[in-house]
Amino acid sequence: MTELSLRLAVSLAQIVAEMGIVILTIATMTYFERKVLAWMQDRMGPMEVGPYGILQPVADGIKLFFKEDITPAGANKAMFALAPMLTMVVSLIGFAVIPFGPNITMDIFGITIKPFVVADINIGILYILAIASIGAYGIILGGWSSNSKYSLLGGLRAAAQVISYELNVGLAIVGVLLLAGSLSLVEITAAQAGGFWHWFIWGARPDGYFPIHTQIFAFVVFIISAVAETNRIPFDLPEAESELVAGFFTEYSGMRFAFFVSAEYASMTLVSCVAASLFLGGWNAPYPGTIFGYVGLEQLAWVEHIAWFASKVYFFLFLFIWIRATLPRLRYDQLMRFGWKVMLPIALANIIITAITVYFFPR
Amino acid sequence: MTFKNWIKTITFYEILVGMKVTISHLIHYRPITLQYPHEKRTLPDNYRGMLALLRYDDGTEKCVGCDLCEAACPSRVIRVVSAEVPGEPTKRYAKEYYMDMTRCLFCGMCVDACPVDALGMTREYEWAVYDKRQLDLNKEQLLAIGDRSFPVREKQLELQHPNVAFFNVAFKHLPQKPG
Repeated sequence: MTELSLRLAVSLAQIVAEMGIVILTIATMTYFERKVLAWMQDRMGPMEVGPYGILQPVADGIKLFFKEDITPAGANKAMFALAPMLTMVVSLIGFAVIPFGPNITMDIFGITIKPFVVADINIGILYILAIASIGAYGIILGGWSSNSKYSLLGGLRAAAQVISYELNVGLAIVGVLLLAGSLSLVEITAAQAGGFWHWFIWGARPDGYFPIHTQIFAFVVFIISAVAETNRIPFDLPEAESELVAGFFTEYSGMRFAFFVSAEYASMTLVSCVAASLFLGGWNAPYPGTIFGYVGLEQLAWVEHIAWFASKVYFFLFLFIWIRATLPRLRYDQLMRFGWKVMLPIALANIIITAITVYFFPR
Repeated sequence: MTFKNWIKTITFYEILVGMKVTISHLIHYRPITLQYPHEKRTLPDNYRGMLALLRYDDGTEKCVGCDLCEAACPSRVIRVVSAEVPGEPTKRYAKEYYMDMTRCLFCGMCVDACPVDALGMTREYEWAVYDKRQLDLNKEQLLAIGDRSFPVREKQLELQHPNVAFFNVAFKHLPQKPG
């Protein structure tokens, strides 16, 4: 076996494992969201399929898989079929650059791989921004090709909203990039090692505790813009049920509908991973080192790192659900005004202030 | 805008208050949901459920075919075909009795209108069917509902309290007013 094919096989195995985890997370999230939302609204959520409705994602999957796949009359068939695939693929391949665990290397069959990140490319965050922009095309195409006024309106809204808020996401992370001096998510995460005061949300210098480089404003801007970019309540105007039936996926049914819904949860998970990596130190524990390291089990430290990363990601996912249970939908002009006149100046001011502090107090 | 309001705005104070409410409902979790097919709520005493025709304790039908229920019904649910009891020209009964329960709004006016208490409202409500023609009930079905919902039956009118209405004074061979 040549080295190239071996490398391909190892990469494929890594991708399959990661996709399995992500799809399992999506399935869990569909259940978790319905449950948590129900609990917050004094309901019970799914209770029928399995104990406490635990098999509801499986039942939903089977149901959607066997549903009739309807293409509306007058729809652009090629585009109509392309849109859900584009949305799903784009929201899944973003996970390639997310570091799930420590930046260690291991040798398998003579080739060196990083087990916890599929592709450690040096422009990881730029790649994620680019991929997230392509995701908007899936929504716009789905809205346009359905030959339905609700879908079209939803697609148009999604276009305007994603463009407005993507700008804020891009500007909010510039401060982090200034501090880390790298676009690679692996190196950004590694720069935050050694306790929560080194996380970029607190922003102490590597030798101190004082939050001189704090990115808390960038963090807030990033989280709000991430909610808007994933079309979640209170920014769910592209799929506003009370106005547009279901927005851009009004005409979709069966597996294609499932693709759109899964893509929403996948992009939720993706922005949670990015937020955890950029601002909350990714796989770093909030204390220096690891507990496994202190008790002499250094080779098991990756378990602790992954547990911390997962808990941060699930905290953000819970936050998304929590916000959904609390807030009503914004009006369209409020959404645009908030994005351009509030978030954008804060993000720009954050860049300037971070640049000044980094210049005078270099890391 | 005062300074206090400005602080509230930049710290998302109102949103945090709302989120505190939702999380407190999550922590003090008391669902108001009733898991319906598995657990059923207690019905009030005057619950107006499925209509039924009743019988006396000797098994004869109470209904005298007077059509007052048909007249009282606001939704035209009831259709009565009245006839003489064979061999007894002064007594009438409902030869046919239909209730189209798809139209019934369970107001209970037919029960109030009945002079001989031949109609009753049971506590049944699970009457969902796949074919709505099954809800056009005839006399036998209505009597069967009454039989299973009211197992304790009244005595014949003339055997009850002496002051109740009593119509067959001229027929000495029938049971007489007691006392």
